[in-house]
This record gives sequence, C-alpha cells and structure tokens, in this order.
Amino acid sequence: MLEVSSLNKVYRSGAREVEALRDLTFTVDSGELVCLVGPSGCGKTTLLRCIAGLLEPSGGTVRLDGREVSGPPPGLAMVFQEYGRSLFPWMSVRDNVELPLKQKKITRHRRATLVEQALDAVALAGTESAYPWQLSGGMQQRVAIARAVAYEPSTLLMDEPFAAVDAQTRADLEDLVRALWQRLEVTVLFITHDIDEAVYLGQRVVMLSSSPTVVQDEITVDLPPARDQLHTRADPRFTELRTHVYAQIQAAKLQPGGAGASS
Amino acid sequence: MKRVAYVLGLPVVLFAAWYLLSAGSESFYAPPLSKILESFGKTWTLDRFTADVVPSLLRLTAGYAVAAVLGVAAGVIIGLNRWVRATIEPVLEFFRAVPPPVLVPVIILFAGIGDGMKVIVIAFGCVWPVLLNTVEGVRAVDSIQIDTARAYGITGPARIGRVILPAASPQIAAGLRQALSIAIILMVISEMFAASNGLGFTIVQFQRSFAIPEMWSGIILLGLLGFVLSLLFRLAEGRALRWYHGLREAQRRS
Amino acid sequence: MSTATATAGTARAGRRRGLPAPVLGLAGLLALVAVLEVLPRTGVVDPRFLPPFGDMMAALAAELGSGEFWTALGATVRGWAIGLAIAVVAGVVLGIVIGSVPLLRAATSSTIEFLRPIPSVALIPLAVLLFGTSPESTLLLVVYASFWQVLVQVLYGVADVDPIADETARSFRFGPWARVRHVLWPTALPYVFTGVRLAASVALVLAVTAELVIGAPGLGKSIAVAQTSGAVPLMYALIAVTGLLGVGINLAARIFERRSLAWHQSVRGEVPA
Repeated sequence: MLEVSSLNKVYRSGAREVEALRDLTFTVDSGELVCLVGPSGCGKTTLLRCIAGLLEPSGGTVRLDGREVSGPPPGLAMVFQEYGRSLFPWMSVRDNVELPLKQKKITRHRRATLVEQALDAVALAGTESAYPWQLSGGMQQRVAIARAVAYEPSTLLMDEPFAAVDAQTRADLEDLVRALWQRLEVTVLFITHDIDEAVYLGQRVVMLSSSPTVVQDEITVDLPPARDQLHTRADPRFTELRTHVYAQIQAAKLQPGGAGASS
Repeated sequence: MKRVAYVLGLPVVLFAAWYLLSAGSESFYAPPLSKILESFGKTWTLDRFTADVVPSLLRLTAGYAVAAVLGVAAGVIIGLNRWVRATIEPVLEFFRAVPPPVLVPVIILFAGIGDGMKVIVIAFGCVWPVLLNTVEGVRAVDSIQIDTARAYGITGPARIGRVILPAASPQIAAGLRQALSIAIILMVISEMFAASNGLGFTIVQFQRSFAIPEMWSGIILLGLLGFVLSLLFRLAEGRALRWYHGLREAQRRS
Repeated sequence: MSTATATAGTARAGRRRGLPAPVLGLAGLLALVAVLEVLPRTGVVDPRFLPPFGDMMAALAAELGSGEFWTALGATVRGWAIGLAIAVVAGVVLGIVIGSVPLLRAATSSTIEFLRPIPSVALIPLAVLLFGTSPESTLLLVVYASFWQVLVQVLYGVADVDPIADETARSFRFGPWARVRHVLWPTALPYVFTGVRLAASVALVLAVTAELVIGAPGLGKSIAVAQTSGAVPLMYALIAVTGLLGVGINLAARIFERRSLAWHQSVRGEVPA
C-alpha cells in the first residue's frame, strides 16, 4: 500500500526557488493499479523519484507498506522510461534481470528460477544470452519489466515506460502490464502522459495539475476488469471517462496549481 | 584474397623500394637494407634477446601494471566524490602536462639508476592518462544507470564492480592506450639515460660506437615491439569491450 | 520539467552546496604548494632531492632575469611551433587525399597501422647521427610524432562525411574542389581541431624530450644541465615551467577549438586517438 501525504518538493539553486510539488496527497491500495496523468512539466518525474526514495522531499511523507520512505525501499521495483539507458549494456539479458536478486542475497537456484519465470512472463524466453542492445525497443522494455517482476516487489512503479515505443508495441505492452498485474497481485503506480493509456489500464486515474503540482482530480474507472484494445476502447463509457480526464488536463494547463476537488 | 593484397601490398612495395634503392648505398648513415637485415639476424640472437629485450619488457610491464592499478583505483575514488575531484583535478592536469621524460633526472635523484628507477619512471609517467581518464569515465556514468542501481539496492562494492567500472571502462581503456605509448617511450628513455642493459641502452651503444647497421636493426626491432604491443592491446580491448563495440555498432545502424 | 531536475541526482540536492569548483581547484593547487614547502623544510623528504617550493621559485626568479632562460624557452617554443605546423599541414593534406580515395585508404591502412605505434624515441639515435645537437633533431622527432595524431583524426573526419550530403553536392554538379570546400571540410573540421590539439601536446613532449636526451637547444637541455650541475631547485623550476607550458598549450587549444567551432553542433565526443 502506497500513501503519499502532503508531498512537497522545492528546488533551490542559488537565489532561485522552484516549487515543483506543492501539496500532493493520494493513496494506492494494495493490489490496485492506479494511473497518474498530468500536463508536461507537472513534476511527474520528481514525484516518482520521491516515491522511489531517490529524491528527498522538502515536506510531507511517502509511506510504503506502513513504513516511511527515506531511501530506495525494499519491496519497490521501478521501470524507467529510458529503457535503453536503464539496462546495463555490458550484461546479458539474464545478468540484467538477475543483478538485483544477487543484492537481495537469494540463492543461486532460486535466482535462476525467478529469472526464468520473469522472462517467460514477458514472453522473452530464449533471449537470456542476448545483450540488450541486440534487441528491439519493445523487447528491451520487456526486459526491464522482467527485471522488476523477478525482484518480487510488493509495489511496481512505472515512469512513462511506453512513451518511447511505437504504437503497436505499446498496445502489446499495455496488455502485458495488466496481465502481469492481475497474475502477480502487485500494487502498480503507472505514470503516463497518454490519457487513453491511463484510462485503459487503470482502476483509478489521478490527475495532476501543472507546477506547482497538486492533485487536480481523481476518478474511478468503472470499466470491466477484462479489457482488450479493440472493444474496451470502443466502449462509450471509455470515451466518457477519457473526455473527463482530457478536460481536466486542459484545465490544469490553464491554471497552474489549481486545487481541484477530489471526486 | 583481395584483402590480403591490400594489407600486404603497400608494405611490400615500400620494403622492396627501400631494399632496391639502398642496395648500392655508400652512405654511412643509410646502409643498404640487405646489410641491415643481415645484422638483424646476427645481433638479435636468443642470448641478446634474453639479456636485453626481456629485461626491458619486464620493466615495462611492471611499470605499466603499477600505473594501471593505481590509476584506476585512485581514479574511482576521486571520480566518485565531487568535492575531491574539483579540488584535485587542476593538480592532476598539471602533472599530466609535464612531459614525462623530464621526470627522469628527478627520479634518478630519488631512486638511483637501477631497475627500480626505471619502473618508477615508467609508472609515474604513464599513470596520469589512466587516472584522469578513469576520473572522467566515473564522473560521466549515465545518471539513469546510477538511479537504477540505487532503486534496486545495488550499493557498495557491488555498485563499483558491476555498474561504475563497466560503465567507465571505455574511457578507462582509452587512458590505458595512451599510457601504453608513454610507457614505451619512457622505457627507452630511462635506458638511454642510465642503464647497463635493455633495448634502449643497446641502441644507444650502437649509435655511440657507430655500429650503424646494428643501430638500424635496433630501431626496427623497437618499431616492431611498438607495433606488436599495440596489436596485443587492441585484441585485449576488443574482447574486454565487446559489449561496447556491439552497442556502438547497433547505435550507428539505427 | 523543472530546471533543477538534472541536479536532482543526490537525495541531498540543494542542502549541501559548498564552494564552487574553481575555488576548490585553486585550493588544491595551493595545498600542493604548501606540501612542497613543508615536506622538505621539516626534513620528511631530503631537501637535496626535493627542495622547498620557495627555493624553487627563487631559482626561477633568478633565471627569469638571465637571457639564457628566455633563449631556451624561445628555442623550445620555436621547435614546437615549426614542427607542429609541418605536421598539421602534412597530416591534413595527406589525410584528405588518402581519406577521399577509397583505394588509397585501403592500400595504406596496414602501413599506417604499422608505422603509427612506432615510438618516436626510436628515431633519437638516427636524429643524433643526422643532425647532432642542432634544432633539426628536435624537428625530426616532433614532426614524426605529431603527424600521426593529425593524420588519424583527419582520416576519421573524412570517413564521417555523410554520403547523402556528398551525393547531393554531386547532383548539383559540384566539382571535386567545391565538394572538398563545402562538404568535406566542414565535416572534417572538428576532427582537424581535435587532431591539432592532441598533436600540440605530443609536440611539446617530443620537443622537450629531444632537448633533454639529445641536447638540442631548449628547456629540455637546460633541465639536463641543471641536473648534472647539481642545481636541483632550478631543475624543478624548469620542469614546472614545462608543465605550465603544457597546460597553457592545452588550454589555448581548447579555447581556440571552442571559439572556432561555436557554429558547429558538435555533440560528438573526442574520438580516442
């Protein structure tokens, strides 16, 4: 379970102060898949890094599974947007997926099992000896997802993971995320700028305002749990929800730091 | 077949030209190539090899190895700490700018004229490119890779061994390559200054006693040595950095 | 994204800022001077081998007054400059010619790869025989070593020419000379600068080396003389001068490069020599 309370982050450089995040409060319950959307420059990456323990907030707290986050917390796995730079090019696919497990001091036998299962889950069985740069963009992102999955986290953090991938591959990867989420029963926080993707994937969508950021709005996506690219996106309810989110984002772009009422 | 022709073509032509053009040479300083080759076989016997070339190579290896280990170790420590790096970098750049052979007289003061002096000269002279390149390589490690390591709890020695060093290795390799050239130069110069055996020493002896064909044969041997070492380095680097060359090739193609 | 994102690497961003880099660097240099002053004076290091910094500076000051120092400095700089100029011209011309003709490139490749790693010091005995201790010995070594630096970089530069750009020029009926001017030269220019910068440092090293080992006129010879006559503080001072020369040349080369290439969107990093 992820709880963000009154999160505030101010960047100081010399005399200048930039308030990236003003007051962010939202919760992701255990096992939920929540999508975060916002206009460009709304501090999504700052927020994500605070949650991942890579950045210290100026105020407010982040609690993961009841414990306050003050450094990269165990039980949290992150998938970065820049898969090409996040996977280590000097290691094979297998070694990349296995590395975090070695730090967790898992036995070799168990590690091998986890790696195999993870690569299988992302449909990349057989690529163990390849190097990341030998694979296509979509496949590289799958490796990054496999690495996160093999880590057996309680919470998965995904930072616009499909932004740099072509549309058809993105559709496959979106379905992969939902399938993995349902199978592994992890909590997922998915950050994206793609509104359609947010509504397609999420159980809830949290909309952020522009900088200085607060939560603009939240909606529950009451679409059926079994979703597919063809039918769900044609569903009229999908269009309604998507329009609502879009309107909120447009409104957010016009008034920075607007405090929207949560619905 | 065509490739072999290209690789061997010009060298063979040049060699033949040298041979033929110098065949009737009466010049003292430029004897016929045939004579040089003859003296090559006579001079560089197995005995002479063991007595002179091997010690030179041993000193070279020792000095280079010391410089490599110290340079990388210090480079990692300095590169990881922003404040230390900012403070010490100008000092390092200054030391690197001093032409290495100039240090030979200084080190002779401290270390005499034995083998130790030569190893110290080589080590002291070629550590700077390794050190500075390591610092730069460590500093320039992709921030996303650092974040990934932090996010997955990869810290301490594992972080240095599995993330920082491999990421910096292309830059470190460039430093090691520069260091090799400097090491060879210093090996020869330290022997020209003060030695009782060695390749550089032998060549200078030939020159001083006006044994010209022998001197030339020594120069050729030195050239061959430089070439072979450079080749060995490239082979080693090609294997160790196979991933890097693969990555660059993939990027070029996309 | 906020501008400070790039500095948000550490979890303590904005909290511990400390002094800016140039101040720290200066502090480092001053610390070095302090160490050089204290160690010999306290006897930790034998002052005969490493005299105190103050003595070194005194010796240098005395030298600056004498004509000899400036003559030597001039000789070194002259040897460096002439040798570098010859090497650059030869390297650029040959590099462009060889690089532009694929046949030449393939045929000379093995020869270049063989001659390149030959240590220039191998030529010292030859230089001594041919030119003795006159400045030509210095030139021989400087030109030989610097030439390869320039040549290799120019070859990289010519190889980097975009074939599409070249074809476009051809389709507009640009003759060979025009193509060199408008397509090849602008592409190769950053590489030429890199080559000149690398060659400039190598040229200084070889110039001083030739003077030191052979005895051609210049700072290197002055250092050798100082050593054999036991004027140790002076020896160190002269060594420091060569270091400063090297630093100065490197800085000047980088500044010149940055100014001249300001128009060039050179994201490319230095190609390892």
